[in-house]
Amino acid sequence: MSERIKALIVDDEPLARQLLREYLSIHHDVEVVAECGNGFEALKSVTELEPDLLFLDIQMPKLDGFEVLELLDRDVAVIFVTAYDQHALRAFEIHAVDYLLKPFSPERLADALTHARARIGKPSALSAAQLVAEARPDRRAVDRILVRDQANVHVVAAAQVDYIEAQDDYVCIHAEGKQYLKNQTLSDLEEQLDERRFVRIHRSYLLNLDRLARLEPYAKDSRVAVLKDGRELPVSRAGYTRLRELIGT
Amino acid sequence: MHPVLARRVRLDLYLLAWLPIAALLTVALAIPDRRPWWEALAIGAPLALAAAFMSLAQWPLCRGLPIERSNPIRFLGSHLISLMLSVGVWLLLGASITLVLQRFPGFADSYERYRLDAPSLAVLGALLFMVVTMLHYLMISFEDTRDAERVTLQAQVQARDAELRALRAQVNPHFLFNGLNAVASLAGSDPARARTMCVMLADFLRRSLALGGRTEIMLGEELDLADRYLAIERVRFGDRLRVEHDVDPEASRCAVPALLLQPLVENAVTHGIAHSLTGGAIRITVRRAAGRLDIALDNPADPDRPPSQGSGLGIANVRSRLASLHPRAMRVDSREEDGTFHIELSLPAVEKDTALRPTRAPRVQQPSQEVA
Repeated sequence: MSERIKALIVDDEPLARQLLREYLSIHHDVEVVAECGNGFEALKSVTELEPDLLFLDIQMPKLDGFEVLELLDRDVAVIFVTAYDQHALRAFEIHAVDYLLKPFSPERLADALTHARARIGKPSALSAAQLVAEARPDRRAVDRILVRDQANVHVVAAAQVDYIEAQDDYVCIHAEGKQYLKNQTLSDLEEQLDERRFVRIHRSYLLNLDRLARLEPYAKDSRVAVLKDGRELPVSRAGYTRLRELIGT
Repeated sequence: MHPVLARRVRLDLYLLAWLPIAALLTVALAIPDRRPWWEALAIGAPLALAAAFMSLAQWPLCRGLPIERSNPIRFLGSHLISLMLSVGVWLLLGASITLVLQRFPGFADSYERYRLDAPSLAVLGALLFMVVTMLHYLMISFEDTRDAERVTLQAQVQARDAELRALRAQVNPHFLFNGLNAVASLAGSDPARARTMCVMLADFLRRSLALGGRTEIMLGEELDLADRYLAIERVRFGDRLRVEHDVDPEASRCAVPALLLQPLVENAVTHGIAHSLTGGAIRITVRRAAGRLDIALDNPADPDRPPSQGSGLGIANVRSRLASLHPRAMRVDSREEDGTFHIELSLPAVEKDTALRPTRAPRVQQPSQEVA
């Protein structure tokens, strides 16, 4: 093999990174291009260094391993490395190459690398983000939305969101006076969020019920939702029906 | 509410118990040969029924005047007034019954005859109400005993429960796995430190097993265990974890339930430090003043961290353990503000006696036969 595998190690513990680097040193076809101590650094390094293989810890500050994967903009083979075995199932659902439980032996790592060599170069049918979204545990509603903006990642708590507006292939998230653009469809996001809190009041608007002050008639058969800060959003007829079901009036 | 009124079947039984008293009253009224027996029944039966319901009013009175804890003068005075009032009302009721009765043919002059019987009825009524009062005190004492037993049992169950959870939480497997991973890493790069880490892990395990088998230990021992734990975590987290102590030396001899702080210290690492990019200090503050022992724990807390399961459980566990020991003299408060999580416990400061006390014998589990 002429081409070497470019690997990135992501773990918040220096000793854990050091151990992986040491175990990998005997595999001459693998080159560790960088080590990252957290999810933000990992996202940056993946964009800049374009690695083929990611050794990814799950328990990390700010962004966990699954969230890093969700925000990745390119296809990369992933080997999870963690002390927790309860995430194994989810890891395989998102087609991780392998799942190493700390502490692991050099032989176990060699096995994982064999799997990785077979995988690398074969693009997967689905994007990582799609796979992660599908493997969300128990289809539980997300309580924070991750938005990647070049090198920055914003973590927006669902409770902070006022409303979300559809803009072609993007959504614009309005939260506490700020706006975030995310490459996702409104229906996709609607499915992930808590359906008791977020209502699709219009084809293009998803509203956080907590922000609703009142509904006002606008024209025949149509209404506007007035938010607590005074902003007004259109409410479609179907949206009005959904709102009434939720509020129960 | 009166226990008799709590259930229909009890009320029925209670009223049934008054039937012989109604018969007794009827006989008493018929004996002086002043009136026919049906008149005696017409007065005696309603009077017995009235006494049955008036007796129920003794419940709040007896509850309000506990026999052991009341001022004797107030106790006797109150019961005397209540007795006189009850008998008075009861006699007036009898008088009204006869006044109504004598309007009917065959009951003429019923009231006059009743007046002659009033003094003996008063004595009878007074005796009746006195017996009822005593029965109420008997009932209350039974109920108190049962309540006390229930509370003790509940406290025992709670203590055992907390103990079990504490034992289960004692050696967190992920702490071990991560610690062993660090040893594996150090074995390659720094064998001497790997050995130190092995010893640290073993010491911590040995001590936490020993302390976990005891119910009560000295705060100093508990803090020492926390230090050992944090020293191991410092190897993993490096500069991200700092530890600050502000411990009143007077406090270290105070008694605390074994492994009370350990889950809180673990929370501070797993929910605080592990979720923080830059880390920070875990600060342990202990004060002893005015008979109280106050322990506070601060750790950095990232407001953006995903909601955790388990940290609330740890705090609830600590609270229930303290509550089972000092039901009314403990406090557990926690709050999170400005990126810092703060929890404080307050309990009575009791010095642990230096004399060797028998610690609970280790429960030896017999190897049980698996039944297929």
